[in-house]
Amino acid sequence: MGPVFDMESALATARSSVANKLSPLSNDDADLVATGALDSMAWVDVLVGIESATGIHDLGNPWPENRPKSIRVLAEMIHEAQNLPAGEEVRADGRLQTRADGRISIAGWAYSLGSRIMSAEQIERDLGLPLHKIRDGAGIHSVCLTVETEDELALAQRASEIALEMADVSIENIDLLVATSTTFLAYPSFAASLHSRLLLPETSGALDVGGACAGLIYSLSVAKSLLSMSSQAVALVVASEVHSRRLNAPDVPGEFRGLFGDGACALVLTKGGDAERNGKLSLREFVSGCSGTFASSLGVKVTANGSLGVEFKGEQLAHAALTQMDRIIGTLETLSSKPRNEVDYFALHQPNPRVVEILAERAKISLDRVPVISRTSGNLGSVTCGVSLCQALTSLRANGVQSQTSLIFMAAVAPGLIWGGTYWN
Amino acid sequence: MRELILSDITEMGSGLCVIGIEPACEDLFRSIRPIPSRGFAWERSLPHQRGNGVRFASRPTSVSPPHIEDQNTFGLQASGRCLNELELVGILQRAEVSEDLEGLFGCGLHADTNGGNAWVDASQADRSICGCLYRNLRFLVFMDPSRITLRGRLVLTSGETLNSLPVVDREWRRFMDEVMQRLAKAERHIDLDRYLNRFIRPKLLQALHRFARIGLARPGNAHKCWLMLDSLFPQPDASWLDVL
Repeated sequence: MGPVFDMESALATARSSVANKLSPLSNDDADLVATGALDSMAWVDVLVGIESATGIHDLGNPWPENRPKSIRVLAEMIHEAQNLPAGEEVRADGRLQTRADGRISIAGWAYSLGSRIMSAEQIERDLGLPLHKIRDGAGIHSVCLTVETEDELALAQRASEIALEMADVSIENIDLLVATSTTFLAYPSFAASLHSRLLLPETSGALDVGGACAGLIYSLSVAKSLLSMSSQAVALVVASEVHSRRLNAPDVPGEFRGLFGDGACALVLTKGGDAERNGKLSLREFVSGCSGTFASSLGVKVTANGSLGVEFKGEQLAHAALTQMDRIIGTLETLSSKPRNEVDYFALHQPNPRVVEILAERAKISLDRVPVISRTSGNLGSVTCGVSLCQALTSLRANGVQSQTSLIFMAAVAPGLIWGGTYWN
Repeated sequence: MRELILSDITEMGSGLCVIGIEPACEDLFRSIRPIPSRGFAWERSLPHQRGNGVRFASRPTSVSPPHIEDQNTFGLQASGRCLNELELVGILQRAEVSEDLEGLFGCGLHADTNGGNAWVDASQADRSICGCLYRNLRFLVFMDPSRITLRGRLVLTSGETLNSLPVVDREWRRFMDEVMQRLAKAERHIDLDRYLNRFIRPKLLQALHRFARIGLARPGNAHKCWLMLDSLFPQPDASWLDVL
């Protein structure tokens, strides 16, 4: 919700919204519809205008019986909606509920992968790679690739709508969209395009976050910060990558291109004091940084002639990623005051399954606590740790594990070497 | 006598507004808005349906832009032709269509409020009806004790959005009346929103003939012509009521 309105400012807001439709303005007590001053279409636009100006959802919807459609009643309704007793607020359905505390929790999650599944053998054949390079060398059995009708927006829309359904959150109640995509290289940006595609309210924000493979963790950090510092209550966090089109260039090495798949994930964050009671996991502290020493291990840039240039030092990158991921897990142990053997799941970025196996061995974590999505879908960039998180959350829910005792660590690294981590419990 | 295939039947005040299509040139069609002898609106008892063929004799017409499709008539007579919904949409896709907002009426759109309906300046628009494909759609419901107002939000293939379009499509209005009769009064607003956006919406988005016709209201205050959702395809199906 927006700023608190006293009756005078509520009256001013009501008058201003009516003035957009009616000139000269009628008196404050006249029933604007019954007198014919406004038709029903104009009346609805007045309500929409006030909602937009005040952040109140569903003002006067349904309109109460026996109250005239006047400027004064509009002002009273603005005033009532914005000045509820301490500890209460209006839900989207118009009923009162206890006002939320500052905890940010996850209410819905989903992912969507490219519909075309390509086996490791086919990738090796198509890209002219040595036999078993992808299956045995990287540990990837198949990758999920988009079909012609799928792109970053289509995958993100599919994931978002499933996540919102799970969260039982209406599109109209989303305050903020935070989105990340490395492969979407257009303006309007990915967040703006997805905002339109989903038909989010015009008064909900749309923000793009970078960070490549760490982009989802950075997006969660941004979303949590924005929700915490404002009166906004619901954020949709989305990552979507379609590598198969972006990396489909002659200068991109096959052993790099063959590792990647296409997908999207969506997470619905809500600010609410009932999280613990409802068994929702809350988003906790973040850790992040950038280690320039390893900046040259992976570089992707558009060259002067418009082609894609990739600098890929596989072994150096794997070594740097392993070291940094292990460090992030160590830092999360300190922040959460929980040792890694008490963590239920690790939602990790996965350059490939082989790297995950080595990390599990080195970091002394059980591989069955890492949902290894990259084995069947390939490296999904920023989406990887999101899909891993979705699988972890679904598993916890299926097993009836209570949020009070659940713990999930998230960690990711990206070119730069950017790194980030967080945990949920 | 000219013949039209009725493409849009919309509620306008206490009457109906009707638009039909006729062959223009080569493989294309154009919209014609037959106007009755008196006023702009036809009686609610109009016996014709979308897709029906009608014949009419033209009367001299003084056209007032952007409603260039207006054509005075002596009345409409059934011609006996009848197109199904898919055939009708197929023809509408060869009439006035646009992929983006500016192409709808040949001018820029304006909005007075964030999330509110859009309007065009009557002196700048060069037509008052146009079709478009949509990528996504959501319904908005506004209720008061006496009536329900249905609005639509659309994303065009260009990625541009249209907010809070009043749904004036007669069939959708009738369908809403049926829906309202079947919903329990308690929490009707929530149930209606769920029904429209979680049950009906996916059916529309899965259809291959997703298509909308956007019309302009007659110029009002400050020469503003507000946009309206004249026709929404697929049209509502009575079987969708069975879940209620």
